[in-house]
Amino acid sequence: MGDKKGLLLDTTLCIGCGACYEACKERNQLPRTATHFLEDRLSDQTYTVVKRRGGRFVRQLCMHCEVPTCVSVCPVGALEKTAMGPVIYHEARCIGCRYCMLACPFGIPKYEWRKILPRVRKCDLCADRLAAGRPTACAEVCPTGATRFGDRQALIEEARARIRAHPQKYVPRIYGLEEVGGTSVLLLSDVPFERLGYRTDLLSEPLPLLTWQVLQKIPNFVVVGSVLLGGIWWITNRRREVQLRERQQRELREPSAPESADSWHEEP
Amino acid sequence: MTRWSFRRPSFWQLVFAVILGAGLYSTVVRFTGGLGASTALSDAFPWGLWVGFDVLCGVALAAGGFTLSAVVYIFNIERFRPIIRPTILTAFLGYVLVIVALLFDLGRPYRIWHPLVMWNPHSVMFEVAWCVMLYTTVLALEFSPMVFERLRLERPLRILHALTVPLVILGVILSTLHQSSLGSLYLIVPEKLHPLWYSPLLPIFFFISAIALGCAMTIFESFLSYRAFRKRLEIDLLSDLGKVIVVTLAVYLVLKVQDLAGRGVLSRVLEPTYEGRMFLAEMLLGVIGPILLLSLRRIRTDHFGLFVSAVLVVLGFIMNRLNVSITGMEASSGVSYFPSWTELSVTLMIVALGFALFGAAAKYLPVFPETERLLASSLVEPPAVAVLRRPWIGTTPLVLILGGLFFIGAMGSAYSGLQHRERTLAAVSTREESEPQIAEGLKHLEVPPDVTFPQGEASPGPVIFRHASHLNWERPDCTICHHEPFRLLKASGSAASSPARDLHDERHCGRCHDGRTSFSVKEDCTACHRP
Repeated sequence: MGDKKGLLLDTTLCIGCGACYEACKERNQLPRTATHFLEDRLSDQTYTVVKRRGGRFVRQLCMHCEVPTCVSVCPVGALEKTAMGPVIYHEARCIGCRYCMLACPFGIPKYEWRKILPRVRKCDLCADRLAAGRPTACAEVCPTGATRFGDRQALIEEARARIRAHPQKYVPRIYGLEEVGGTSVLLLSDVPFERLGYRTDLLSEPLPLLTWQVLQKIPNFVVVGSVLLGGIWWITNRRREVQLRERQQRELREPSAPESADSWHEEP
Repeated sequence: MTRWSFRRPSFWQLVFAVILGAGLYSTVVRFTGGLGASTALSDAFPWGLWVGFDVLCGVALAAGGFTLSAVVYIFNIERFRPIIRPTILTAFLGYVLVIVALLFDLGRPYRIWHPLVMWNPHSVMFEVAWCVMLYTTVLALEFSPMVFERLRLERPLRILHALTVPLVILGVILSTLHQSSLGSLYLIVPEKLHPLWYSPLLPIFFFISAIALGCAMTIFESFLSYRAFRKRLEIDLLSDLGKVIVVTLAVYLVLKVQDLAGRGVLSRVLEPTYEGRMFLAEMLLGVIGPILLLSLRRIRTDHFGLFVSAVLVVLGFIMNRLNVSITGMEASSGVSYFPSWTELSVTLMIVALGFALFGAAAKYLPVFPETERLLASSLVEPPAVAVLRRPWIGTTPLVLILGGLFFIGAMGSAYSGLQHRERTLAAVSTREESEPQIAEGLKHLEVPPDVTFPQGEASPGPVIFRHASHLNWERPDCTICHHEPFRLLKASGSAASSPARDLHDERHCGRCHDGRTSFSVKEDCTACHRP
C-alpha cells in the first residue's frame, strides 16, 4: 500500500473516445463545460482534457510531481504530496494567493474566478479511490489501455519494456521520469513530446530547489547580519562617544561659544 | 461666513474625490462579484497589476526607510537625521498600503493571518508573509515616536528610544530579506519568465534596485512636501542621496550586463521584440538616464534636476517590476493581460490614499524638523558657482533636454515593443490540429461488456444493451451516450447502472432512437425488448 501509484499514458493507444474525460466529470461531480469534450480546456470545472496535438490524441491533467512545485510554493501548506502519490488540496487552509498557479511548470491549478470564496481546482489522482485500493476513474474506464494505473515503479518498467519491444515506434524517452524531478503521471509517445504540447525544456531537477537554495540561507543571514550590524553600531557609537568626550574636554580647557544644539537630534 | 459654509474644493481635492469614488465603487465590485468580475486575471495569468504594482512597488517604498535608518543609527552618520522621519513614514505607509492591496488580491482575504499558524518554510511566499507582518510591526514602532511626541507621551518615547538600535537592526534585516524575497518569488518560474528578466540573481537585483528607489522616493517626496507644506529642502543631503543613487544604479547596471552576458542573452536586449524593447525602455528610463543625469554635479545640486532624475528612477523602477510580473510572463502564458478598469481604479485609489495619508501625517505630526520650517521663496538661491561661471546652457533646459531625451527614448522603445506584442503572443497560441491517428489504439480496444437493463412492469421484455452495436468503429466516442444519465464508473453497490426513470425519453435511448438518427423508440418494441 505504501508504494507510490501513478498513471502511464501511452499516446499511441489513445483513440480519443473521451471516456476518461467523462469519468473524471462523473467522479468529481462536475458540470458540463463544452458542447464536445475535444473543444474543452482545463478549468475549475474540468480536471482532465483530451487534445488533438501533433496528429495524436493526448491527455492533459495534473502530473503529480514527485517534488511538486505547487506544494513548495504554497505559504500555508494547502497543497500536499501524499505518500501514495497524489498531490491534494486542503481548501480550508488556502488564502487564495495563487502562487501555485503561477509556479506550476505544467499550468495545471485552476481557480474559481467566478466565486466570491474561490478555491484552487485540479486533478487529485482520485486520492480517495487510491486509498480504497481502486484505480483512478480515468484509468478504470479507458477501453484501450492508453491510460494505465499502477505502481509508479512498475509502470516505469512497463514503459521501458514497450520502448524495448518497439524501438522503431516510440520516442526513446519516458516523459515524467526526470522532468522537474519526476512525475507520477508518465507519458509514452511516437511523436516528439513538444508536438503534443508537453514542454521538453524543463529542468530535470525539482524546481523547489531553485528557491530553497536561497531560503535555506535565511537563518544564517539573520544571525550573521544582526551580529555584523550590531558590531558596526558598537564601533561607530563608541567613536561618536569618544569624539563627544574629546570635544567636552577641549571646551573645558578653552571655553568658547557653545555649538548650537539642535533639539531635534534628541529623538530616537 | 460660518465655519461650515461650502468652500470651493481645489483641483487636487476634486481629483482625489473622483479617484476615491471610482475606487470605492470598484471595491464593491471586487467584494460582491469576486476576482473574476473585477479583474482581467485568468487561469493563464493569475497575477496582475495588484501584485506587480501595488505589492512589488509598494514594498520597495520602504527601502528608503531602512537604508537611511541604517545610515543614521548603525553607521552613526548624523547628517542624514533630518530626512529620516519622512522616509520612515513613507516606508510605514508603503507597507500598510501593501496590506490593503493584498486584501483586494487574495482570493480569501479573511485568511490573511493563516501563515502565522500554518507554516511552510519552503515557500518564498511564506517568507514574504512573515516579512510583511514583522516589518510592518517594526515600522509602526519606528513611526510611533512621531505620534507620541505629538501627544506628549514621555514614557513610551523613552522605551522606544532605548529600543531604537535593536529595532533598526531588525528592520534592516527584515527589509533586506523582504526586498530580495520578492525577487526570489520568480526564481521558481525559469521556464515562464522571459530570459531578459529571469536570473538566479533576481533577489539581488530586486534588493539593489529597491535601495535606488528608496533614495529616489526620499528625494521625490521631499520636493512634494517642499511644494505643498513649504518644508525646508535639505538640498545638500538630497544631492548626496543622488550620489548614492548613481553608485547603486551603476552596480546594478554592471551586474545586469554581466548576468545577461553570462547567460548568453545579452544580444536579445537589442532584438526588435516586445520583451527586448520593453527591457530597453526600462533600462533607459530607470538606470542609464538617471546615472547620466545625476553624474553631472550641476544637475545633482539643482532642485529641478534632482527632482527630474528621481522621477526617472521611480518610473524606471515601476516599469521593471511590471516587466517582471507582466511583460516577461505574457509570452509563456499565451494570453495577453491588461488590467481591467477596476484593477486600475483600486490601484489609483491606493496610491491616492498614500499621498493623502502622507500629507495628513506631514501636517499633523512632527515629521519634518519643526524649527526649520522656512518660506519657500527664501530657499531658491542660486549656487554661488553658477553666478561666477556662466555655463553655455542653463541647468533647467539641460535637465529638460537630457531627461526628456531619456523619457522619450524609453517611451519610444516601449511603444515599438507594444507593436511587436501581438506577434509574440500570436506565435505562441497557434498550433496545428490534424486529425489524429487511432489505428494502433483501435487494435487494443476492448469493448465494455453488455448491460442487461431490468424489466419494468409494463415492459414487453428485458433489454440487453450491446456496446459493440452502438459503437462507431471508425471513430469511437463514448461521450455521446456517457453523459450524466448513463454512468461510466462502477457504482459502489450494484454492478450495472440501473436508472430508475423511463429510458425512452430524449435524455436516454430516445436521444438517438428518435426516428432520424436511428429507429424510433415508438416503433417496433421487440427491436430492443427481446422477450
